[in-house]
Amino acid sequence: MTGIDRLLSLTLACAVSAGIGMAQTPTCPARPSPGSVVNNPLTISSESGVLNAGFTLLSSITEGYLHECYLYQTGKGPAEAPTLQLNPGDTLNLTLTNRLSYLPPPPPGPARHSMMGMTHDRTTASNPCTGGTMVATSTNVHFHGLNIPPVCHQDEILMTDIENTDAPFEYSFQIPSNDQPGMYWYHPHLHGFVTLQVNGGAAGALILGGIEAIKPEVAGLPQRVLIVRQQFTNPNSWLPGAYQLTLNYQPAIAPLAPAPIIQTQPGVQEFWRVANASSQAFLALQIWFGTTPQTLQLVELDGIPLKATTPVTTIDIPPAGRAEFIVTTPAVGQTASFQDIGYNTGPIGNPNPAQELAVIQASSTAGEPPALPKAPASAPSKAPLRFAGLEDAPVTATRNLYFAEATNGTNGPTEFFITLAGQQPKVFSASAPPAITTTVGAVEDWNIQNRTGETHAFHIHQVHFLFLAVSGVPFASPEMRDTVIVPAWSGTGPYPTVTLRMDFRESQIAGTFVFHCHVLDHEDAGMMAIIQVNPN
Amino acid sequence: MKWIALLAVVFCAAGLKAQSGLGSFLVTNDDIGPYVDPFFSTATFIAVSSDGTLGAQTSVSTGGYGIGGGYFGAARVLAMPNGADACVYVSNAQIAAIVGIDALTQTVTGTFYGSPTDSGTSNGIGMAANARYLYATYTASTTIATFQVQPGCALGFVGDVFAAGLNGGTVDGMAINGNIMVIAYGDGSIQSFNVSAGVPVPNGDEQYSTGSTNDHLPNGVTISSNGQYAIFGDASTTTTVEVSNISSGQLTPTIAYALGPTWNSGSVLLSPDDTILYVGNDSAGQVTAAFFNSATGVVSKGCTSNTLNGFYTNFSYVGQVQLQLSTGQGGMIYVPEFGSSGTSYIGMLQLASTGATCTLTESPNSPVADTKQGAALLSIAVYPVPPL
Repeated sequence: MTGIDRLLSLTLACAVSAGIGMAQTPTCPARPSPGSVVNNPLTISSESGVLNAGFTLLSSITEGYLHECYLYQTGKGPAEAPTLQLNPGDTLNLTLTNRLSYLPPPPPGPARHSMMGMTHDRTTASNPCTGGTMVATSTNVHFHGLNIPPVCHQDEILMTDIENTDAPFEYSFQIPSNDQPGMYWYHPHLHGFVTLQVNGGAAGALILGGIEAIKPEVAGLPQRVLIVRQQFTNPNSWLPGAYQLTLNYQPAIAPLAPAPIIQTQPGVQEFWRVANASSQAFLALQIWFGTTPQTLQLVELDGIPLKATTPVTTIDIPPAGRAEFIVTTPAVGQTASFQDIGYNTGPIGNPNPAQELAVIQASSTAGEPPALPKAPASAPSKAPLRFAGLEDAPVTATRNLYFAEATNGTNGPTEFFITLAGQQPKVFSASAPPAITTTVGAVEDWNIQNRTGETHAFHIHQVHFLFLAVSGVPFASPEMRDTVIVPAWSGTGPYPTVTLRMDFRESQIAGTFVFHCHVLDHEDAGMMAIIQVNPN
Repeated sequence: MKWIALLAVVFCAAGLKAQSGLGSFLVTNDDIGPYVDPFFSTATFIAVSSDGTLGAQTSVSTGGYGIGGGYFGAARVLAMPNGADACVYVSNAQIAAIVGIDALTQTVTGTFYGSPTDSGTSNGIGMAANARYLYATYTASTTIATFQVQPGCALGFVGDVFAAGLNGGTVDGMAINGNIMVIAYGDGSIQSFNVSAGVPVPNGDEQYSTGSTNDHLPNGVTISSNGQYAIFGDASTTTTVEVSNISSGQLTPTIAYALGPTWNSGSVLLSPDDTILYVGNDSAGQVTAAFFNSATGVVSKGCTSNTLNGFYTNFSYVGQVQLQLSTGQGGMIYVPEFGSSGTSYIGMLQLASTGATCTLTESPNSPVADTKQGAALLSIAVYPVPPL
């Protein structure tokens, strides 16, 4: 980010917040048309260990879709949801000005513009850190995957409520210097309205540099940042229904319209960093030459480098998951494509049909995206990398949890539960006591059952976890994740279970935060619970 | 005994008279809300032919508004004989009213209100009736209103009682047999009332169902013809029903029966001969049939339909199952399909049963669209009905 950019962005934020005479009301930038070339999002990078940025969150319905955009003003015009590029140890100062205006029509029945489970009376009238009556035009930001404190102005979502008349709100935190390099992302996390705002497009990538130090095979490779999002074709719908996937905001609806185009040099290696920023779509990604799936070198999942780069042909990514992998591009004239081959979400799951996400066109004249930026040389952190030694750490507790659902009617209460075994199933309430209380230093194994006929995506804030086993079958070489698929129950036999090793050893994460299903309409409807990690 | 026999003859004769003038019909509560259509909600009458296929449709304006959805277990439309008349009662939750319609002339006979505080705007107004009283459950005010059934498809308000579940639920499903009214609150709790004097009197048996500790929440309810068993359909991620022996006049702890993986079983209906329990799998777009033993109360697995045509793309939920015939296993099975883009449908299925195994097959011409745009179908009724 240049100084001019920073000045412009701050000026915009101040002007909007003060309501003073802008020549034009800012609007969401136009999104790419079907069949156009896919470009990386604008990247704004830290300088001298600091990244200052200002976003304005706006909403509109254009082209039949709800747009909720993080508007970033550059010297060349507005950009939507830029990639935030930082390094471990850097500081992010992000000013968010909320000017959402869109209020969706209520569903049949009682008005649902405010969420019962998420209503706090602000104890201080103008303090977004003390809650409020959270409505569709309120917001906050979750920095998904970052292992930072659950406190206001950092990564706290239970009480942070930025209303659309509030002054610009400052997020400011330091990335832990021993955090793992990789792809993270940011998105709103206002309970009850997360689906609405994320489907509107309010989501972007956050990348921590330095991967080439751990995975030298990616050093210098062209870096492609691809964000798969989802938009409901009925912009006013509160319910999951017909939707379209988008790739960097371009509709991926082939053959109804031309597919997005990825242009490459032929036969070169590229480093693809893909985030599933959809609200509910489970992706199964492949690269095809013709119709033959190609081998991909999987480097990272959820922002954590794999122990060993692994050849695969299919990469499953739950909503909120990320995958980073090396792709070898096709030859000139060779038919190639980026495919989501579809995912079976179980007997009652939402359809996840196959969809061509992009065609890949190789030519010797094509421009390549910029090479992976090299992290600045700095003194190595004295602390070991986050989560080091977790696999062999003594387990201090084992807990059993389960996903379950019950629906009484079209207007609800649609009850989505995540419950600690032995407790009464209850939908999420911000005022409920923590479902789990533990202490800094704890290492816990959690068995999470799925008692429903649809796939869920387990996610916990503030920490990653070690993905140990599925239904009792351990992985030979377990890897770290922050979001994991919990398979659907078929209706017979034992419930599918994932076993995760939770790492609460880091004192920075002490506080109160949440774990939930990252199928966002499930989370909005209550499939979330609170954990309190007390200081040691 | 004599007057019971006489009453039976009168009802039978009345039914025959009505039937002779009417033929068989299916009627919907289109439940259209004011934000959908500036005009009023409607009840749509659809002719039922002898083979169960659906024919001509006529929509009758109800003079009020619905709310376009709500509980799966609540019946928003009743069709019933009333002396010489065939009456249809439709709830309009937006205006807290029950609308009477003379089915023969298809004219509105009146709009009937409970107390000024009765409100059903949260999840609708469900109904159940015997020959003398119609009961309406208001989900926002958490009340049950009692109306006396009067000649000319009219109703006379008698009084209200407050009825809430143990975990704050409001009445979802309701069924009446003789002097017992059985209720499911949708929050895991159930209760029965004595209605011998008209206004419901609690039987002192409010309790959590057995399944509720495992996320199975009773929604719909049906009672066996012999009055021995109340059967609850659960909101659940599986098809689960629960049976309570009510032969003592009170609910006993329920026994839960898992019938398969299909999502939600919030509406239940016994066949007229009590051998088949039909279950609407509300959130899965399917219908399940199970075998019921009315002597023991045991439910055993039967069969589940394929996902009905158009589920997810054209409709989001199925509502309350109804049957073509008031005898045997009921003939054609109808199920309302809650449209996702302004048009609702009626699915039609046929059961083939050996008594031990069965199949449920959607009819080739299913579904039939409710031609009234904006309809939000969760409830239908079929006339004639088994004796009240």
